[in-house]
Amino acid sequence: MTVRKRLLHVTHLLFAVLLLIQLLPDRAASDVHTGALIAFACGLEAVTLLGTFLVKKEESLALLVDIVGFIFVLLALWSLVTAKFNLLNPMLFPPPGKVLAQFAEDRSKILVNIRSSLGITLKGFLLAAVAAIPLGLFLGWNARLGGAAAYISKFFSSIPPIVYIPYGIALLPTFRSVSVFVIFLATFWPVFAGTMSGVLNVDRRIIDSAKVLNVRGPEMLFSVILPASLPQIFLGCNQGLSVSFILLTSAEMIGARDGMGYYVKYYSDFGDYTRTITGLLVIGIVVIGVTFLFNRLQQYLLRWKK
Amino acid sequence: MTTNKIEIKHLTVDYTERGRSFNALHDVSFGVGAGEFVSVIGASGCGKSTLLSVLEGIYQAADGSVEIDGKALHGTGKERGVVFQHYSLFPWMTTRTNIAFGIKQARHDISRRECLKIADEFLGKVGLEGFGKKYPSQLSGGMQQRAAIARALAMNTEILLMDEPFSAIDAKNRVVLQELLLSLWEGDSKEHRKTVVFVTHDIDEAILLSDKIVVLTAHPGTVNEIVQVPFDRPRRRESLTQTAEYGQFRNRLLSLLYHDVAERIGGEEVVI
Ligand SMILES: Nc1ncnc2c1ncn2[C@@H]1O[C@H](COP(=O)(O)OP(=O)(O)OP(=O)(O)O)[C@@H](O)[C@H]1O
Ligand SMILES: [Mg+2]
Repeated sequence: MTVRKRLLHVTHLLFAVLLLIQLLPDRAASDVHTGALIAFACGLEAVTLLGTFLVKKEESLALLVDIVGFIFVLLALWSLVTAKFNLLNPMLFPPPGKVLAQFAEDRSKILVNIRSSLGITLKGFLLAAVAAIPLGLFLGWNARLGGAAAYISKFFSSIPPIVYIPYGIALLPTFRSVSVFVIFLATFWPVFAGTMSGVLNVDRRIIDSAKVLNVRGPEMLFSVILPASLPQIFLGCNQGLSVSFILLTSAEMIGARDGMGYYVKYYSDFGDYTRTITGLLVIGIVVIGVTFLFNRLQQYLLRWKK
Repeated sequence: MTTNKIEIKHLTVDYTERGRSFNALHDVSFGVGAGEFVSVIGASGCGKSTLLSVLEGIYQAADGSVEIDGKALHGTGKERGVVFQHYSLFPWMTTRTNIAFGIKQARHDISRRECLKIADEFLGKVGLEGFGKKYPSQLSGGMQQRAAIARALAMNTEILLMDEPFSAIDAKNRVVLQELLLSLWEGDSKEHRKTVVFVTHDIDEAILLSDKIVVLTAHPGTVNEIVQVPFDRPRRRESLTQTAEYGQFRNRLLSLLYHDVAERIGGEEVVI
């Protein structure tokens, strides 16, 4: 596509519409922070334009432009029903500008909370992966144990991990350790089950190829069985990762002193819905960001698949 | 008699399926001399792959023995390289790393860098220069098979075992690959040639490539006859296939191959 064609995209029109909407008079009584909204929209538009010139891959650019377009539509509708026509209860539904301004004001506090939440998730997740993958490989490969272990892991991964929380609180000293423990368990079983089913389903012909090359012992496990089961391992990891975030946020709402769940819960208790919504949006964005990075890793490691 | 590189003696192989035993090969005996190219032909299901899996060391015979250089065969071994009909390559490795991995497995004494160098050299020999960084899924079936052959050759094993390596490939590419294998194998001087056991059900392929052809009969798989191929090397397909001797020899093999069919029809010669 030529640069001109790339520039012709409905997203830029949506940007203009969003700005035009801001010319309408505000009906809402409270402070609506139109400036913050306009600054944010301009920032997004700048990113899109920069992407139009810099991003080489057609699909990545399309993705970026579509997402930004979607955000513009959302912001336009949101500001119409709140600031412009005042259709919703302003206490429960703050206008977008206010949320953006709040984010800017709280950014250092939010950063600390994000760091805390991500730290716990990563720790629990990585510990689980490091334990579950080798164990799954070993048990899956020793087929006799594999059959039994497959059922056991099915049993455990069917337990909603939230029930681990009270046990964790009773057994472990700090909130952090409880959270890591719960995320560990929530991730361990799906990754373990995924690894085992991956190993049990490795194509017989791949194993024969390895055998006739005299691949043996640990090398068989790590150079052949592991990469061959990687697609299924990733299925388990994806499941573990998405459960982890939900769990952590819930856990943070129950008993934490920091973290994004704590931030949301704390301010909703005070009826500060601007901060509550800010927090929810931040959680969503962080989850999307982590999922995006994880998908990238998966795509890279599985680039050999058709 | 013990000068053979591979000596197969009274080999009997069974499969057990749901408690029932099935006799796939019965009392198969033949020898393969050092540097000899031997093809095994026979109808589908007669036990060719079974025979090869025993030679590969991934399946155990019920009775009889296989000796390599006079020593009883146990399991897989570094002196044997294998090309399967499908799936010889690991899909998560590039062509180049696949070959280098094979070399490393066969010869632990050389460095990874050297393995890669040899891999590139053999990629060139099979006409795949420039495809080293591709994954098997990015190559056509014929190219994958070239890479598999390159790996087996690069491993520089004394023995090559090939199970219908070209049967999944279209006719035109098959001819190209047969000629490639022939020229690479004949390219070595006589005392350095590899010992090859080559399974096929393509008679022309067997004649073109082999010194000796073992014809199997089915149910259970037994040796029907062992035929010496009378044509001089180096062989060229065009000049070889046009001779009258070729036609006669081919007919003889055909009648051996379909001898049970012919018997059933009533002893008359079947021309196929
Ligand atoms: N794993 C197995 N379990 C049970 N029976 C088997 C197994 N593998 C092969 N057989 C049987 O053994 C016989 C010989 O099989 P084999 O694969 O060796 O034949 P083949 O000559 O290689 O045939 P094709 O030309 O079709 O490859 C067949 O009747 C087949 O059904
Ligand atoms: Mg076969």
